[in-house]
Amino acid sequence: MKQTLAILINKVLTLACKIAKPIFKKDGSVTPGYYATKLDKDILNKLKYPKYIIGITGSSGKGSTTSLVAHILENNGYKVIWNKNGSNLYNAAATLILNHTNPFTKRIRADVLLLELDESFIKTIFNKVKLTHLVITNVTRDQPARNGHPDIIFNKIKNSIDGNTHIIINADDPIVNRMRITHNGLITTYGVGKSKTDIKVPLSDNVDAAYCPICESKLKYSTIHYGHVGIYKCPSCDFARGKVDYEAKDIDLEKQFMTINKAIVHLNKNVYFAVYYTLAAFALTSVMGLDEVSIQHELNDNVLVSKRLKNYRLGKRKVEMVESKNENCLSYLQTINFIREQKGLKTIIMGFDNVSRRYELNDLSWLYDVDFELLNDKTIDKIFCIGRFRYDVYNRLIYANIDKDKLVLVDNELDIIKIVKNNSKGNIYTMVCFDMTAVIKKLLMEDAHENN
Amino acid sequence: MKTIKIAHLYYDLMNLYGEQGNILALKEAFKRQGVKTSIDKLTKDDKMDLAKYDIIYIGCGNESSQEIVRKDILKHKKSFTNIVKTKTIIATGNAWELFGKKINEKEALGIFDYSSVSSDNRIINEQINKVSFLDKPIIGFQNRGSVNNNTENDLFEVIKGTGNTEDVRVEGIKVNNFYGTYTIGPLLIRNPHLTDYIIKHILDENKIPYKEILNTPDYDAYNAFIKNFNIK
Repeated sequence: MKQTLAILINKVLTLACKIAKPIFKKDGSVTPGYYATKLDKDILNKLKYPKYIIGITGSSGKGSTTSLVAHILENNGYKVIWNKNGSNLYNAAATLILNHTNPFTKRIRADVLLLELDESFIKTIFNKVKLTHLVITNVTRDQPARNGHPDIIFNKIKNSIDGNTHIIINADDPIVNRMRITHNGLITTYGVGKSKTDIKVPLSDNVDAAYCPICESKLKYSTIHYGHVGIYKCPSCDFARGKVDYEAKDIDLEKQFMTINKAIVHLNKNVYFAVYYTLAAFALTSVMGLDEVSIQHELNDNVLVSKRLKNYRLGKRKVEMVESKNENCLSYLQTINFIREQKGLKTIIMGFDNVSRRYELNDLSWLYDVDFELLNDKTIDKIFCIGRFRYDVYNRLIYANIDKDKLVLVDNELDIIKIVKNNSKGNIYTMVCFDMTAVIKKLLMEDAHENN
Repeated sequence: MKTIKIAHLYYDLMNLYGEQGNILALKEAFKRQGVKTSIDKLTKDDKMDLAKYDIIYIGCGNESSQEIVRKDILKHKKSFTNIVKTKTIIATGNAWELFGKKINEKEALGIFDYSSVSSDNRIINEQINKVSFLDKPIIGFQNRGSVNNNTENDLFEVIKGTGNTEDVRVEGIKVNNFYGTYTIGPLLIRNPHLTDYIIKHILDENKIPYKEILNTPDYDAYNAFIKNFNIK
């Protein structure tokens, strides 16, 4: 009875949130689950789950992987419940699950429950009912003020599952690959072969997991994709990336194609991380039993349109709002690489008022884990530093040996458009935090309005 | 003119929170003074002729990296004992625990009397500290899973944040030119007055004149932070 009531409360509150959304500006993805699980805190353990309970976790790429997996499965006839809006904490998962549960039979109405999961919440959500499959995309430095460090993140994931879960892991990441040492269930591995954008030695000293977790010898890399991710082996024992079950190669980001084992697949974005989320989605749906042709059809013909941030214009110049994740140096690195790879002269706007939207702590250490040295590129015309921490950003760029003449401190962000317009050339890329994004969007719209 | 020799110890293990920034800060501060530096990166299994360096720096690592380093650094116990009174040694984050007697009951270098143990909860804080030899506060951040029972020669008085344990308001250690603190990350970039204090001592020892240079991006960033967060 209590469970039925909890499920009904969840549904009623979700409806109420939808109706009241224009007033409270909340989409109701979290609150209903909060109250429902307050009424019965054990409710998620008492439901009848579908055959497939799939989690996608890792420090980055889990949202993109989840939506691509959902796309492949739904178009192959599966009824999939998944967290489309990316809310990946406990209350959000509870809201989603209970909204799709029959209050009387307690049966979740789906073939697949597919959840993008925050690493810290897997165990809370699935403490008795266990995931059937878990994809681990990578484990990197990510929000240290919340997560501590990568070892802590890894241990949380490891301790959330048991041998009943089939893990699908990115073996290029030596931290993720530690799962092979202890996991006693099924393991499927994926990775990227040597590619032309690889490097031989790390760009700086910020690399994690340089030593073997078994014998503590320094790992030897035959190639590095980025950060600590690449093809490596221990010189003293058998810990290695080794041969993987699903390997991506012949990557062509410009044409947006690559090969997985022998299958040619399309990438829905021309960025390197698209290689990993496509590969992860391919590996997972393959182990679920989908045939290669059906997966290829959903990747190559019925392409999932990638969520692109809207491009704006400033006069004739294109403005691209590029996602940049503070406190995740490898995610930030990929944004830098993306900007570098774009053609023509570039102007960058960079900065933040707050390090995080989740907490008030402003740890600036991560600025020295990001390889800003890569912005030392002749195609970059100017970099404008804005926001409350603009002096720290500016100083980091000076330490990265970027020419002082290319750097501009903007004290009043409301002047940014005018200053950029008059003092720089080329397409404009913004690498700013969430609050600055809103300011810049508004200014761009005002500028477009005035000039039309 | 003399080249200042810097050793960056365990650079690939004790490198968790932007610690490489401290090496950049030292290099740049000497460069502004017109003094050259050389930097040697040393790690596990390397030979370490520590006596030849003017400055030795070790940054913060995760618990498993610290344990790898603890075992390796014991091989250099005699060298550290010989140089600790004369050389400048800077240990940030959990690196200063290596110089105490024990870490979680396991042997450490034993140069100082303190010991460290894992804490029940992770300690994550913004820090504002006072230091006896400078007028202005020291800003920084802590992210650690251990506490330390040091009771003498504190480096910092804690104004905001956590001390050696959650019950005390002092943090770190300074003995001669050994600086140990739980502050993580680019401490020396964010606190240029502390960096200048450290390098001035080394320049004095080498009879190289020190010039006060305050119009640097480091000072601008420090002053902006102090102003933004109304730190007194």
